[in-house]
Amino acid sequence: MSSEIKEISPTGKAIIAVVLIPTIAALNYVGGVIVEALKAPIWGDTWATILGTLIGGFWVGAIGGFLYNIIMALTVWGLPSWIWGFANVAIALIAYFMMKMGWTDLKKPMTWIAMIVLYGILYPAFTTAISILVFGGGPLYKPLAAAVYTAVLSSTGNFVLANYVQNMFTEIIDKPISFIISVIIAQRIPKRFILAR
Amino acid sequence: MGQRGNEKVIIVENLTYAYPTSKDFVLKKVNFEVHRGEVLAILGPNGSGKSTLCKSLNGLVPHFYGGRYGGKVIIDGQEVLNTSVSQLATKVGLVFQDPEDQISGLALTVWEEVAFGLMMLGKPKEEIRQRVEEAIRYVGLEGLEKRSPFELSGGQMQRLAIATVLALRPDVIVMDEPTAQLDPIGKFEVLSVIEKLANEGSTIVIAEHEIEEVAYFADKALVLFNGEVIAYGPVREVLRKVDELKSIGIDPPSVTELAHAIKKELGLEAEYPITLEEAVKIYSELLGVS
Amino acid sequence: MSVGVSLLKKTAVEADTFVQRLDGRVKFLYFLWATVIVYIFYDPYLNLIFVAVTLAMAFYARVAKPILQTLLIIVVPWIAFAVPILALPFGFPWNKTIIGYIDVFGNKYPVYLEGLGWGITWPLRIAVAISSALLFFLTTNQAKLVATLFKMKVPFKLIYMVVATFQFIPLLAKEAETILQAQVARGLRTDVGFVAKIKNYLSVVIPLTLSSLNKVQIRAITLESRGFSAPVKKTLLYEARLMKIDYIFLSLMFVSTAVLAWVYVNIGYSPIAGLSWIWGG
Repeated sequence: MSSEIKEISPTGKAIIAVVLIPTIAALNYVGGVIVEALKAPIWGDTWATILGTLIGGFWVGAIGGFLYNIIMALTVWGLPSWIWGFANVAIALIAYFMMKMGWTDLKKPMTWIAMIVLYGILYPAFTTAISILVFGGGPLYKPLAAAVYTAVLSSTGNFVLANYVQNMFTEIIDKPISFIISVIIAQRIPKRFILAR
Repeated sequence: MGQRGNEKVIIVENLTYAYPTSKDFVLKKVNFEVHRGEVLAILGPNGSGKSTLCKSLNGLVPHFYGGRYGGKVIIDGQEVLNTSVSQLATKVGLVFQDPEDQISGLALTVWEEVAFGLMMLGKPKEEIRQRVEEAIRYVGLEGLEKRSPFELSGGQMQRLAIATVLALRPDVIVMDEPTAQLDPIGKFEVLSVIEKLANEGSTIVIAEHEIEEVAYFADKALVLFNGEVIAYGPVREVLRKVDELKSIGIDPPSVTELAHAIKKELGLEAEYPITLEEAVKIYSELLGVS
Repeated sequence: MSVGVSLLKKTAVEADTFVQRLDGRVKFLYFLWATVIVYIFYDPYLNLIFVAVTLAMAFYARVAKPILQTLLIIVVPWIAFAVPILALPFGFPWNKTIIGYIDVFGNKYPVYLEGLGWGITWPLRIAVAISSALLFFLTTNQAKLVATLFKMKVPFKLIYMVVATFQFIPLLAKEAETILQAQVARGLRTDVGFVAKIKNYLSVVIPLTLSSLNKVQIRAITLESRGFSAPVKKTLLYEARLMKIDYIFLSLMFVSTAVLAWVYVNIGYSPIAGLSWIWGG
């Protein structure tokens, strides 16, 4: 009859991550579908990457986001777009960084500054590199963005800059909003679901 | 599955447990035994620790969750504290209450889902083929082998979960409120399978709200309240304690309650029935009707 | 709601042609090989040849329709949109060779070769990648797909995650639809302003997330209880093996590579169209 109480460390986190990651990928996918149905003015398909990072740490967000891109590439966008998985990794990385620096409190002005700088200025640089090197760059298949591209190109003659400004234009609204949405959701989650340290 | 005997498949000694995120102990010095071929019903209101108790029989508590753990749980001679959940998978088969959430997500067909546990344990293909066919036939899912597991009804999904567990041929089947989320048809389907298992001598531990149904095939009952064992013994004796059960929020079978009320109001002494058949028998004898 | 989910149903077509019988790894290699080649060369005609060959195999394997649909949705509008912008004076910084003129609203604008070439070659490169990858995907049924990944020594947990994502998406979509309908019944409207639309989004996404997290917990303990973490080699029900047809196909690819290498060295990177090299092209 043992009457001592032992402290046991949990082994469940690994498996939870294994189930959480496909859930994040699926949530990204369904998020995009909901956006379509509600006609909301955002992409809405990378919010779960940020959420995954806030709940489960960098790897959960990054792999979940990457997986989402693979699935989208296989079924909707066409295979080469799996490359954009790396953009999702970048999104997870930025979210992780902001989490570690404590910039997830929406009442802090630093959070807003970081959001706009990291997601609106730094992140588009990354996507521009991908878009030029892998897809040839050029105007995006959206009238407003393409207009920005043409305007910048005709005034500066710089191909890279035109692509960058075009991408910045689209991301600077979408990503911060996704970040805000994810932070709001993460705050509503009961503590016991949070795996991230 | 084994004949009823004196072999103790489950021994629980002074089991005490607290989840890592909570201050309070959710199980406090729980003691009981289950012999081979016995059916033990675990009763108790919500929050009494029934679920946690089920999970402590296959190692999820303490290994998966971590936390503070005291006492012993011994399954077929092996102590849970020193055995991994994977190793216990062939000794204890745990069925949860959510039909859809129990589906692995890896299997594309019902057949593959039933084979899931065996695939995870690396069993050879011939063995898998044989056991899966057996299990599917046992729970009555023949004809559905090629369907996606998510296309089934609630009752079918729950029977699928049971089949997945049966394929592993565990020594004891533990069920945590298996019919809670099912419609009446589903409940009937699942309870039929459970009854079949019980009648054929399987060792079962079942936490269930539907006392009426469980009373038919349970041998013993354990009542939990706030993590402590309030009553434990042959099911008939436990269910007779109508007032105590009701005071902690459990409804005994209607016929038992009726007998209790009759005894209290009319002073009529009769054995308490726990199933409808028994009630009919007892009262027809009493009334001189056969 | 169902556009996205129905596209997910693009599953393998079961027919008994040599394409289906080819091992998954060979088809995947074909996709990689074709894509790399069209990226090394800068020639829209070469790209078209690859697309044609892939489509021919697709027709034979009865999977041509979804591939054509995808190309029609993605590549054709892309070319239609990009070429006019890139080929005109302000669309592309390296435009210098005029090949013709176009009349727009009474004004004559020059059309440049460089922009045109860029605007056609890049989308066609993507077309090659899309068609060859879809060929792989549509002719390899899921069980074979999983077995292929397993044989390629992809970690089992990763295989689980890929398959599980495909299974979770319809489940979550169904749940999202239920939540959406409940919210509509409570007065949610889509003809509202920007901020309200975001609130609408949250009113569906928050409950969806909470419910999903709960499911994660339950599924995780189920997996664990069925031996998911057992440190043994998992048994899969299908084995991937190379057969004669695979070797024939591989040799064809090898011979083509040799021919193309010769072309590259002796004729150049743009053998048919004769386009000049632009940095990053």
